[in-house]
Amino acid sequence: MQATQNAFFEAPRAPEGKPAARRASLNAVRVTVEYPGVRALDDVSISFRGGEIHAIIGENGAGKSTLMKVLSGSIRPTHGSLTLDGSTVAFAKPADAIRAGVSMVHQELNLVPTLDVAENMLLGREPRKLFGFSIDRSAQHRRAIELLSLLGTDLDPGRMCGGLSIAEAQFVEIAKCLASDARVLIFDEPTAVLGERETSRLLSLLRRLRDEGRAVVFISHHLDEVVAVADRITVLRDGKMVHEFVRDGTGVLREAVGAPGDSADESVLARAMVGRELGSIYPPKGSAMREAAAIELRNFGAVGRSHGISLSVRPGEIVGLAGLVGSGRTETAEAIVGLRRATGSVWIDGVQQTFAHPRAAMRQGVAYVSEDRKGRGLHVTLSSVINMTLPTLDAHTRAGGIALDRRAERAVTERWIQAFSIRCARPELAISSLSGGNQQKFALARWLETKPRVLLIDEPTRGVDVGAKAEIYRIIADLARAGLACIVISSELPEIIGLAHRVVVMHAGAVAGELPRERLAGADCEERIVRLASGLSEEKEHRS
Amino acid sequence: MTTAGPIAPTRNAHAGFSISRFLERWGVVVAFVLLFSVSAFKQGGDFLNVENFRNLLNSNAAVGILAVGMTLVIISAGIDLSVGSMVVLAAALGTTAMNRLIELEQPELVAVLVGGALTIAAGAAAGAVNGGLVVFGRIAPFIATLGGLAAFRSMALALADAGEIRSQSSSLFSTIGRGGIPLFGLENNAGRPLTLSYSTVIFFTVAVVAQWFLSRSRFGRHLVAVGANETAARYAGLAVGWVRFRAYLIMGALAGIAGLVNSSRMNSVSTAQLGLGSELDAIAAVVIGGTSLRGGFGRVWGTVVGVLILGMITNILTISGVSPYWQGAVKGAVIVLAVLVQRGSRE
Repeated sequence: MQATQNAFFEAPRAPEGKPAARRASLNAVRVTVEYPGVRALDDVSISFRGGEIHAIIGENGAGKSTLMKVLSGSIRPTHGSLTLDGSTVAFAKPADAIRAGVSMVHQELNLVPTLDVAENMLLGREPRKLFGFSIDRSAQHRRAIELLSLLGTDLDPGRMCGGLSIAEAQFVEIAKCLASDARVLIFDEPTAVLGERETSRLLSLLRRLRDEGRAVVFISHHLDEVVAVADRITVLRDGKMVHEFVRDGTGVLREAVGAPGDSADESVLARAMVGRELGSIYPPKGSAMREAAAIELRNFGAVGRSHGISLSVRPGEIVGLAGLVGSGRTETAEAIVGLRRATGSVWIDGVQQTFAHPRAAMRQGVAYVSEDRKGRGLHVTLSSVINMTLPTLDAHTRAGGIALDRRAERAVTERWIQAFSIRCARPELAISSLSGGNQQKFALARWLETKPRVLLIDEPTRGVDVGAKAEIYRIIADLARAGLACIVISSELPEIIGLAHRVVVMHAGAVAGELPRERLAGADCEERIVRLASGLSEEKEHRS
Repeated sequence: MTTAGPIAPTRNAHAGFSISRFLERWGVVVAFVLLFSVSAFKQGGDFLNVENFRNLLNSNAAVGILAVGMTLVIISAGIDLSVGSMVVLAAALGTTAMNRLIELEQPELVAVLVGGALTIAAGAAAGAVNGGLVVFGRIAPFIATLGGLAAFRSMALALADAGEIRSQSSSLFSTIGRGGIPLFGLENNAGRPLTLSYSTVIFFTVAVVAQWFLSRSRFGRHLVAVGANETAARYAGLAVGWVRFRAYLIMGALAGIAGLVNSSRMNSVSTAQLGLGSELDAIAAVVIGGTSLRGGFGRVWGTVVGVLILGMITNILTISGVSPYWQGAVKGAVIVLAVLVQRGSRE
């Protein structure tokens, strides 16, 4: 009975199960976007076809975000137009694009934390009953289950969104797009916040959406993911389209225009993005300086998040901390510097220390660079100078520590801009105007200015383009060579393997195993880490 | 550094001129100039009279001092609704103590100094209570100070049986609120030498010191960082609780100073009336001045201009014969308009 009521009160929905007939084709035709002084997109023509995963890659500032904003209706192009299924469309606002079937899955998730999964998914299009006065909760629940099962997840539609993990929230966000009957789905760096396992789940979801005939637009800094999943790859550089690769019948990616060159792999793509040859992006590894540990954790843990961690890092050594998102790596690091309550003990240069506060840790030479640059690592609304000097403000004062020495602040900022070749023309402007890579360099520099002996760095290259990644790797390797003890937390296996002297893998809040340096060279080392991180126990013998 | 304002330029990340961006930054000055011109046009010589300004400043000094403190609290992403009640409690305690000393036949100077110091100390103590509830009790600032709004006035009412506390000082006490520094060569309408009132001097001194601390001191920087993003401030190693606590403490001490200015001007404390509703005037001045209610951005000089704008509006309306009952509506409209204009390109 309720079903008939729904049919009566709901807007007619396209029949499901025959997606092939509704394949969308979204075209950007000679699109140019100009900002004062900058041409963010320059005469770009791309078509996105239903049943295809189309990856857009490029360095930060290449125009990817601008293109996505045009497609999703956030900005209108200065010149050029969009066509959808052959007819020209003009999206004045994102709602217009969504109504036309073009939805964007944002990097920042926009769920209402106090509503449950089903309510969030159908927000604004709730099934009604009682002549539209009341929400039909059971129909809402059913529809939510239907959509979630379409995504292959058994998430409970009754759970509050505030308690979801990032990966789960992303699934809800995608389901929300499907609820609006999206035929073109745009994913803006969806894997940036995910661990290895969640990423592979998401990639198979992308394939599934494609197989249903939807057009999937995929932006990622992770070239391995792009190579694994994309049917077509467009490379943007300085606002222009510079390359297009298509997967041919044999599953090999080849240049679409001109002579079909060799098959494209990650290094070909990286070269296409930066327009120059990149050497190995991982610098050579140095060696530890002395035997005594700079930092030692004994039976350490973050209350409620991790436990029983024993680990020591010597000066000059880089230890990688691998594991799935939620395995307790970040929480452990936060507990070390006093941002969380801890159990067990921390020893710095052989002396036991208890840090109540990051400042206390800083005084003993321990610094933590957060994974969450926007929310915790930096003050995005404040200037580069203010961000740079915040932890070391005491050192930039005059008149007995009360007055700020603004000349000294400026000087130290300029010094790090030079040292890290940060692209930052006006350090007095909000740091949010810088690219992710340059922000990350500041996030690192502000803590190096505290002259640490132990550096805990969490996801050092999240949301950072290939060129800046290589620079950050080199910086970390140089720091180690200069005698810093580094713990690098990362969800990117190639990064952690390429950078670290040894890798400690965490699972469910505890150390699941450790790979010493000689095991990091083997071809099967990624697989070993993944097995450990997922809690498979065969590798236990490597624990030392 | 070439920046004109303390921390303002960070918001305007893009080069080039735009009207909305200009208004966002300088709208409050534009409004001040407009109002000033309207006043001068309507009242002619009466308005452009120096004495008129003296009175404008003098009658708004107390609320101005509160607004300066409120600016700091709001920059720290807090709010203090209890300022009016802190004013009356501090003034009541200080005046009572001063009277007691005079009754005990202590020298009047001693009585006034001790009473004045106690007024400021009582305000600071009330501010410390607010800060303690917010920081250590983890109560939302709105709620904690709403409690203070009720409790502090109730204490003052109980102290004086809801009546008036008259100062027993012959004339020394009222000099603070009524006296001033003579401005040589200027005379008032009655032909006596014109003075710059001590309360105005206190207001401007407080404002200048606060602006300096906000833009040039470590504390000001910490305040902005905590207000902009408390979590990020904690991760940067700041003692977030201590920073916020000090904002409420300073607010309390300034409420004490405002209480002193008020009670000495009236030479008495009306426990039912003094400071009533001044939290709204103070918040309004802060908002008009361009300080973000979300915290993390603000300017004391804007607040000072905001106080003068509010004062001028009252002035114009009174002189134009608009019913006092309508003045609230006009002020309300101005506050909303100020926020709309200054939101500008921020979105």
